[in-house]
Amino acid sequence: MTETTEVPPLTVVSAAGGGGAGRRTAKSRAGGGGSRTARPGLGWALPAVLFFGLFAIVPLVLVAVLSFARWNGLGAPEFAGFDNWVTLFHDPVMIKSLWLSVLLTVLGAAVQTPLSLLLGVWAAGPQRNRAVLAAIFFVPLLLSATAVSVLWRALLDPNFGVPAQAKWLFGDGNLLGSRTGAIGVLVLVGAWQFTPLHTLIYQGATKAIPQVLYQAAAIDGAGTLRQFFHITLPQLRNSILTSVILMIVGGLTTFDTVLILTQGGPGTDTTISAFYMYQKAFKGFDFGAGAAIALLLVVVATVISLIVVRISGYDKMAGTQEGL
Amino acid sequence: MKSRFSRTVASGAVLALALSLAACGGGSGSAGGKDEFHVLVYGDAGNKVEKQIVATFNKTSKVKAVLDTIPGADYQQKLQTIINTPQAPDVFFNWGGGSIQPFVKADLLLPLDDMIKQDPALKANFLPSVFNSAAIDGKAYGVPMRGTQPVLLFNNKKVLADAGVQPPQTWDELIAAVKKLKAKGVTPIALGGGDQWPTLMWFEYLYDRIAGPGLIEKALSGDKSVWDSADSKKALSMLKELVDAGGFGTNYDSVKFTDGGSPALLASGKAGFELMGSWEYSTQQNAAPDFAKNDLGYSNFPSVPGGKGDAADLVGNTNNFYSVLKKTKHADDIAKFLKLMYSDEFVKAQLAVGNLPTTTNTDKFLSTGGDPGYLKYQLDLVGKAPAFQLSWDQAYTQDNSTPLHQAVQQFVNGRLDSGGFIKAMQALKTSG
Repeated sequence: MTETTEVPPLTVVSAAGGGGAGRRTAKSRAGGGGSRTARPGLGWALPAVLFFGLFAIVPLVLVAVLSFARWNGLGAPEFAGFDNWVTLFHDPVMIKSLWLSVLLTVLGAAVQTPLSLLLGVWAAGPQRNRAVLAAIFFVPLLLSATAVSVLWRALLDPNFGVPAQAKWLFGDGNLLGSRTGAIGVLVLVGAWQFTPLHTLIYQGATKAIPQVLYQAAAIDGAGTLRQFFHITLPQLRNSILTSVILMIVGGLTTFDTVLILTQGGPGTDTTISAFYMYQKAFKGFDFGAGAAIALLLVVVATVISLIVVRISGYDKMAGTQEGL
Repeated sequence: MKSRFSRTVASGAVLALALSLAACGGGSGSAGGKDEFHVLVYGDAGNKVEKQIVATFNKTSKVKAVLDTIPGADYQQKLQTIINTPQAPDVFFNWGGGSIQPFVKADLLLPLDDMIKQDPALKANFLPSVFNSAAIDGKAYGVPMRGTQPVLLFNNKKVLADAGVQPPQTWDELIAAVKKLKAKGVTPIALGGGDQWPTLMWFEYLYDRIAGPGLIEKALSGDKSVWDSADSKKALSMLKELVDAGGFGTNYDSVKFTDGGSPALLASGKAGFELMGSWEYSTQQNAAPDFAKNDLGYSNFPSVPGGKGDAADLVGNTNNFYSVLKKTKHADDIAKFLKLMYSDEFVKAQLAVGNLPTTTNTDKFLSTGGDPGYLKYQLDLVGKAPAFQLSWDQAYTQDNSTPLHQAVQQFVNGRLDSGGFIKAMQALKTSG
């Protein structure tokens, strides 16, 4: 219980920071208003803080403790010092899995960002047929990752699926049984599954860009391309960041598609860290090693997110509407 | 106004939290009430029989049996997660061998020797080779339930006839058949390499035929040198010969058994053979009933002349077992429940769903089963087999299954050479 009671001040500070940024925008828009800018009472944050503490901080602390123990799920955990960590850093599969996680994340972002950006901007247009098409396009978003994976597995069956019909393109169809093939399939399925979500973000953000900007540009004689590069893209900067951070967090924690499509195989060629953690903890019953991998993944994801935020200047919370 | 409201919210949140915590705590104590015991089984089509047996038991017993099921591949994970908690069952389904060894080590299981002393039929009415695969350090920890599952070499009769091939009796005949089938343009052998365990079956049989069943027994008891022996290397080179001859085609690692991929290859005539557990029959009956009825053939794994293993040896899942937890309060009632595992009613119910129980009275009811010919063939095989090797991934403890499966897959697809495979097998953890 002591952890949870100590958490509130920390979180309150960051909440106040967020409130501050909101206040600034409110001020610049409404010219400042006394009652609107008042801080909300601490009580409002309490349920969220409690739940965050109970379901995020406490498990994280437990996982950290467990990473220094030997435990097969039976009996009491045994203190193991740094054993799990030493083994982990000497484990070639672990190092490979981190590299694979990063590779899949980067490939995923590289494929999905341009695709969802263009689709989102397109779908934000006013015609009705776009709205209908966009609605159909979002269907993959509604399917569970398991359903998506099972569907693609059947589609990609080398003897009865698409590869059997298009031998000129797929050869023997050994997609999931080869390293490049399996990684390619994971990127493709990830893109199919998550591009709609990011498209949705871009669609919403594009619709929020004030029309006056385009009207002014049109008067100055700017064409569609110029408008896109000089108005739409800069205005979507924060949305791009949001979307990329979501992709990074999602990419590093990808699990279900790997479990169903490749099971980390062939060999260890698609054993990404999140799946390796599952393999160690729940298939090998080495919960200490699993906990160490989990913690390592948290650290790596946090560091990457921080780097992205710092490089992009997102931490300064600069509003896109400033200077209007 | 504001501060009073936040206080209300705060106390409400704390109350809600306390309630939810209390609810969690309360749930754990209620499992395994006074007049019932819980039977945990793998959730699949076989539950039909288990439900019937539990109902029969409950008709006459004061203490009631409650059947719990966990579906599919999550069974072992869920079991190990709950077995040391108040939610643990009293009796549970397992594969014998390494699958229960960690529980025996953690002193969670009840040795059944006292029960057997009071009712010798609990042991005597089962085939000994099967019964013993759930014994650890000379003590019995499991009573067979469900049926035996030997691995057989299935074939598509029509494809074989078209290519002028007979089910192979020897390894050389198999290689010759592979070449003939390949010339006909079909994949000689369907293999669900994506699942990895179907690939393992080829290793299990080749090692048995060449080195005899002793090699894996020695390896399991901790003698790692056997993997480096001449026999081991010979088995690997013969498997390599089969792979290089194109026996499995080239895309086997993209095919799975579990999603119906490799059985469909066999049923559709795109492949000639498939090495698979006896459940292949019911799988085909569900997916391709006409094929199962007319063209599904089966034979034992070919012999390897000059090898140490008997050509009648089998590998596979010897059986499934019920094991009992030490802390159960109803050991006497459970003993009565286990007696049903060799009852006539049980045998008949299993045969009806295509399972082959390993009781001594199975013979009597064989003709009542779905396909008496197939059942009789299996029973003869199991009855005559000098050795019945439990699948390696079940004989080794659970923590070995991932590295074992990976080594097997990588040797066949060429990513590991025989030296690498031997090293990987020597790195497996044994209790010996």
